[in-house]
Amino acid sequence: MKAITMNASMRALVKSILGAMLGLFLGLMICWFTGESPIKILKILFQSAFGSGYDFGMTLFYTAPLLLTGLAVAIPFKSGLFNIGAEGQLTMGALAASAVAVVAPNVQSPVLAIALAVVFAFVGGGIWGAIPGFLKAKRGSHEVITTIMLNFIAAGVSAYFTLYVLKDPNSAQAETLLLPSVYHLKAFECFNGAPMGPLIFWLLALVVFLYFWMWHSVWGYELKAVGENEKAAGVYGISKQKIWMSSMFLAGGVAGLVGIIEVLGNSHRFKIGFSADYGFVGIAVALVARGNILGIIPSALLFGILQKGAGSLDLETDKVTRDLSYIIQGLIILGVAAEGLWTRKRK
Amino acid sequence: MKIIEFKNVSKQFGTFFANQDLSFSVESGTIHGLIGENGAGKSTAMKVLFGIYPLDGGEILISEKPSLIKNPIHAMSLGIGMVHQHFMLAETETVLDNIILGHEPTSFFGIINREVAQKELQKISESYGLHFSKWNEPVSRLSVGEQQRVEIIKLLYQKSEVLILDEPTAVLIPQEVKELFTNLRRLKDEGKTIILISHKLKEVLEYTDAVTVMRRGKVVGTKVTRDTNEDELAEMMVGRKVSFTYQGERKILASQVKPKSVLQVKNLSTVKTNEPLKDISFELNPGEILGIAGVQGNGQSELLRFLSHPSSMASKANGEYYIQGRSVSHASPLELRNKGVGLVPEDRISEGLLLQQDMTENFILGQQEDPRYISRGFINRKAVTAQVQNKIKEFDIRPPYTTVWAGKMSGGNQQKLLMARALDPDPSILFVAHPTRGVDVGAIEKIHDAIMQERNKGKAVMLFSSELDELMDLSDRILVFFDGKIQAEFSRREFDSWDIGRTMGGGDKAAGGEQ
Repeated sequence: MKAITMNASMRALVKSILGAMLGLFLGLMICWFTGESPIKILKILFQSAFGSGYDFGMTLFYTAPLLLTGLAVAIPFKSGLFNIGAEGQLTMGALAASAVAVVAPNVQSPVLAIALAVVFAFVGGGIWGAIPGFLKAKRGSHEVITTIMLNFIAAGVSAYFTLYVLKDPNSAQAETLLLPSVYHLKAFECFNGAPMGPLIFWLLALVVFLYFWMWHSVWGYELKAVGENEKAAGVYGISKQKIWMSSMFLAGGVAGLVGIIEVLGNSHRFKIGFSADYGFVGIAVALVARGNILGIIPSALLFGILQKGAGSLDLETDKVTRDLSYIIQGLIILGVAAEGLWTRKRK
Repeated sequence: MKIIEFKNVSKQFGTFFANQDLSFSVESGTIHGLIGENGAGKSTAMKVLFGIYPLDGGEILISEKPSLIKNPIHAMSLGIGMVHQHFMLAETETVLDNIILGHEPTSFFGIINREVAQKELQKISESYGLHFSKWNEPVSRLSVGEQQRVEIIKLLYQKSEVLILDEPTAVLIPQEVKELFTNLRRLKDEGKTIILISHKLKEVLEYTDAVTVMRRGKVVGTKVTRDTNEDELAEMMVGRKVSFTYQGERKILASQVKPKSVLQVKNLSTVKTNEPLKDISFELNPGEILGIAGVQGNGQSELLRFLSHPSSMASKANGEYYIQGRSVSHASPLELRNKGVGLVPEDRISEGLLLQQDMTENFILGQQEDPRYISRGFINRKAVTAQVQNKIKEFDIRPPYTTVWAGKMSGGNQQKLLMARALDPDPSILFVAHPTRGVDVGAIEKIHDAIMQERNKGKAVMLFSSELDELMDLSDRILVFFDGKIQAEFSRREFDSWDIGRTMGGGDKAAGGEQ
């Protein structure tokens, strides 16, 4: 009996891998047509991702935010909501994390400082996520529209705070004051300057924890019930309003933690436009993972590799540019989304 | 003339024969019933005829000529049309556009000439006496019965000679059922042939000319309708004798002699005047089944919603509601559950089940916080699965695997799962709504037995049903709803289908209550 469920999730996994490989294959075919050797491209991508300690560190640095934004899309999706707003949520999370030094400049203990920043980032992003959740629950506003709109508002609000409230007066850039060193996260020495340290393990632990939480907690069950059949859930006393608000708060909070990676781990301040569209790539990450929380780990790594490799394609080839990386990303999404290719024959 | 003839038709899915060696024929200009339990292969056979599935063996003759039907478009060109159980209509588009889709009359440059189309449709509607004229309304504004008529008109517009209807009455209220069959008879008089897939024996007996019975993918036999009867057909369908009335014992309990009610509703009214429920008061006693009768839409649904989820009706209804003497007028489903209320909701698909989840996940819906299924703050799925395995045995749920998706189970088994879930915390009060709607004959017996067992244990049961036979068979007392009011109350010795039927239509109960 167990075998049936294993088969279903195994099949989903196989479908995702096949889809991703098909996308990769098509992408490599494209560069073959342009006159570049696909083998060479693969080699460049691999070298760029894993070639040195620094390269691997940078790959993880690109992967880490995608773990979080992938979660931010996948979790509400289980309750029937499509969160396009991870970009705005992570912006607000990062802004809140950078404001922590203004609120508490004299913290001595690094543990306390970082815990404080984590709470700020989580709550900042969480509130930004909870707003569309609230509007959906109380007014029935469609979350796709409200989350997109809130992305723009987040950009505006963060720009205002960066330029007028938290501005670093000594910088010509649009960036906030540098955080005191007690807030800085350590990076691994072996990464030779790539800004990623023990944080990556905490993030992986978060993914595993949420996987466990979604499957075993009552809240996770109720979330699934609402996503599957909100009317039936209501008949049995599960409030879809509560579920929508809480799942969007959690999603926004998780997205907000991108602020920890960036502000505490990398630039130690908030810079306008720091995000490489992590919020939107997160949608692709969740899609390729097929909503499976653990699947987000390999999925985010795949997209992290492609993001990291994009620059090297520019430098090391004559005929293709970084755009090939985006083409491959797009083709992978298509390959995974083209479910019909794999299922039609079965019917 | 035999307009359709199946000769040794087989259809396989993997190693499973959905249809094996089917042979039967349909006479032109008749209504032909095709009956069998869920999963007997009726729909598969018709999908083969309509070209949705290619056949794996045998042949199909249309108008006595062998025909290889390639696909539904080909089937339509041969004059075969099908109304699916779930309508294939674009809800936001107009009736007219839905009907002409694929066969649009065009003028210059391929512009659709809707005037011509509308005239033609009007002609069809009149010549078949279908009384339909809402051509320019979006489909979403039509009632289910009207949508079905649109589907039929669509087939007539496509000049279908053979109309296949898959469980057409499953979605209809009684008045609409009557209207449907009046229309089908008219179509028959005009020379059309109708194949009716059904598992409701009553309507098959009443409206068809001949009937073919299927069981487990095979044809059991074809009968001329007027030469057969309900018992014979049921036996052919199920493969054993079936009783339509409850055969078990009906205990006389002490609580009935001197009733002390467990549930009271006083002066329940809905706030908006155009909505049902006007001044409803009644009591429910342990050890009785209280039947709630009435034509759909006379307030029964609102009553059930209030009884099972009072907090959701807080701003919509006024009235007092007591369970075991305590007020529960604003209680949540969880609070009611803790007070010993079990619920089998009205519509198992939309209100009862998570179709893409397995039995275990469905079983804990509504009892996800039950201490029996929680350990250390998390859901203990081992405990749930063990309990589901017990219930599978107890209720004979099939297929007997806890990992089966609810959506892949037959209606009868879904309903058994809902019964098992409602009874799991051993409630003292049970609300059961439409427990046998669209359920196989075999499963009906099981479900009725389970309900009676609860009653005999001294539980208080409220049974909401649109099947008067079911209510009269099981209930100790019946309340008839009409226009939001309790129109009449009948005790078991007063049960009389003619009398109850009249009060369902708004008439008064016969004087004295005894005939």
